[in-house]
Amino acid sequence: MVSLAYLALIAALIPLASILVETILRGLSAVSFSFFLEEIPPLGEPGGGIGPAIQGTLIVVALASSIGVPVGVFSGIYLAEFRHARIATVARFLNDVLTNVPSIVLGIFGWTLVVVAIGWSVIAGAIALAIMMIPIVTRTTEEAIRLVPATMREAAIALGVPRWKTTLTVVLSSAKKGIATGILLSVARISGETAPLLLTILGSRFWFSGFTQPTAALPVTVFNFSQSPFRLVDWPRAWGASLILIFIILIINIIVRYATREKYGASNI
Amino acid sequence: MSRIIDVGLEELSVMLCRMGELTYQAISLSLKGCLNGTNEYSQVCEMSDALVSMSEQAEDKAFELIARFQPVASDLRTIKSYMKIAYDFARYGRYALDISYINEQYGGLKHCEPWISEHIEKMSEKVLGMVKTSTDSLRNHDVKLAETISSTEKEVDDMYFRYLDELVKRASGTSKCTISSVLIVRYLERIADHATYICESVVYIATGQKVNLR
Amino acid sequence: MIYKIDIENLNAWFGSKQVLRDITMKIKENMVTAIIGPSGCGKTTLIRCLNRMHELIPGARVTGRVLLDGGDIYGEGVDPVTVRRKIGMVFQKPNPFPMMSIYDNTVAGLKLNGVSDKHRLDETVEKSLKAAHLWDEVKADLEKSGASLSGGQQQRLCIARALAIEPEVILMDEPTSALDPTAASKIEQLIRVLAQDYTVIIVTHNMQQAARVSDCTAFLYLGKLVEYGSTKDLFENPKSELTEKYITGEFG
Repeated sequence: MVSLAYLALIAALIPLASILVETILRGLSAVSFSFFLEEIPPLGEPGGGIGPAIQGTLIVVALASSIGVPVGVFSGIYLAEFRHARIATVARFLNDVLTNVPSIVLGIFGWTLVVVAIGWSVIAGAIALAIMMIPIVTRTTEEAIRLVPATMREAAIALGVPRWKTTLTVVLSSAKKGIATGILLSVARISGETAPLLLTILGSRFWFSGFTQPTAALPVTVFNFSQSPFRLVDWPRAWGASLILIFIILIINIIVRYATREKYGASNI
Repeated sequence: MSRIIDVGLEELSVMLCRMGELTYQAISLSLKGCLNGTNEYSQVCEMSDALVSMSEQAEDKAFELIARFQPVASDLRTIKSYMKIAYDFARYGRYALDISYINEQYGGLKHCEPWISEHIEKMSEKVLGMVKTSTDSLRNHDVKLAETISSTEKEVDDMYFRYLDELVKRASGTSKCTISSVLIVRYLERIADHATYICESVVYIATGQKVNLR
Repeated sequence: MIYKIDIENLNAWFGSKQVLRDITMKIKENMVTAIIGPSGCGKTTLIRCLNRMHELIPGARVTGRVLLDGGDIYGEGVDPVTVRRKIGMVFQKPNPFPMMSIYDNTVAGLKLNGVSDKHRLDETVEKSLKAAHLWDEVKADLEKSGASLSGGQQQRLCIARALAIEPEVILMDEPTSALDPTAASKIEQLIRVLAQDYTVIIVTHNMQQAARVSDCTAFLYLGKLVEYGSTKDLFENPKSELTEKYITGEFG
């Protein structure tokens, strides 16, 4: 029985390991200092880099987070504090459904809502990614808050602290590690999403030029390079961009693991 | 912080000390009355009644301490002994009263033969000393002091029996004197016994040993 | 005799289940009042009605009046938050805020309500920890986490925290049942000392503790107040046969 489990484990690890290994092997050759700093060349042209893609990813993800995080966290707080309200039950259900909506659908949604109105733009991409982010952040925030023991809440309430203040200070303070984990994981998730971006930011070869303009992003760039007929020139770049992307996601995950290993220390309210 | 039970034990101890002082006053007053021929009956009666009431209060308090504080070991011995001692003090009061009664009814010892009043005066002194020893040793749970009562007890017993012998031998004096003096020495001997009981209780409180000091 | 709290016809429900039936009693000032009774008799519900924490449970309901110094805490327009600042509570399991230091824990009630004057906070920390007989043990380590103390110390920290907001009444819900006997005994002694300045109401399932610690005792059974009187009388000579059966251990 144990050996069967071992075999299954190895079977699961093989594809994961091979992805990492392949990406590193094939992509490392393309990565260089200029890879980070130069503009994206047209397909087939040698030289250049994927600087704009990295920049684009960072900007779109940041913008998406600035929408998604507050909405997600406060929704999570509401769902945790008013667990049995009818609107809460409905919202929770819809939230769970939203978690599983295919990302291409979110892309189309972003396209219909924003691109049709103002054109291919960073804003459209950010909105699509934000919608992807919200359910995850909501759910993890709600769970993190529910994990805070009732005794802690009671202690604060018995001190004559109004309920809303208890939630925003004592409870959030205790749940902040869990909430931060949720946020970081959702950021890692949306950094790598391609489908929503294909239909919203379009992609470009140039540095960021405005929120209402299209922009480059890592997943889109990978896609574009991988479709190129100029295999010798462009495929290594695709692998290089993939490597960067995986690297970013890996860093975020490592930060989360490290952060949640910290012991509680004294902190200010 | 002191233990919760200490407050109650302190109150009980104070009650007993007050009783101790009052008994000394009652006994010495009644003996003075006998030897000087003055009638102190009503005063001694008041004191005796007070002592009875105080002993009931002390018992009540001890009872409450047991019900509420689950005392063990030395606390329990202390409370048990205090209840006994409160009774002993009340007995002191009764004897003082009885002595005063004799005095009132039969005129005391002023008009008796000198050898009788001398004997009784000596005995009174010794017995009053024993009463003082008992109350002093109680106040501080002083075992050494308590044990000294043993020798005095023997002396008083001696004096008691010697007096009875003398009285039989001499068979003189008025019958009033005879009766008064016999009763008075009898009461004095009983007071001495109770003083010894009290000292035995003090030893018990402090050491847990039941000793015989008689 | 000054009555600090006057409970009149208090009834309480959890949804449709009635937990307290027509409780009427007067609590004396500067005394320790114990509430005893078998499990489920409503004693915890009773004290939670006194600081308006019972109503926080979904479906909970309270009727009747509870007068604190003559003012009904359930009156029209009375803010429960202000009630809880006058009537503090200490819970069964010590619950210091684990992410705060001992210093912050002690003045949590003040800081959370906007007090930030360092001088005042310093004073309050020392005063409250001294009143809880914890100062000497922790004064050198005020920045350590509140959760780093032993059980008995944590409970005294919770008491200090409750005292820091300067309540008039302190409610204690089985404050020693999670502690070892030595720690429990320290808390009991502390309760007697606290009664000099506060009115203390303690719920306990330990009858001997009620006998040791309180001046007055109330016996609750199935939500009803069966007997209420001085602790001495209740334990020496209870008026009700039910009380006698309970305290002699025949049931419960």
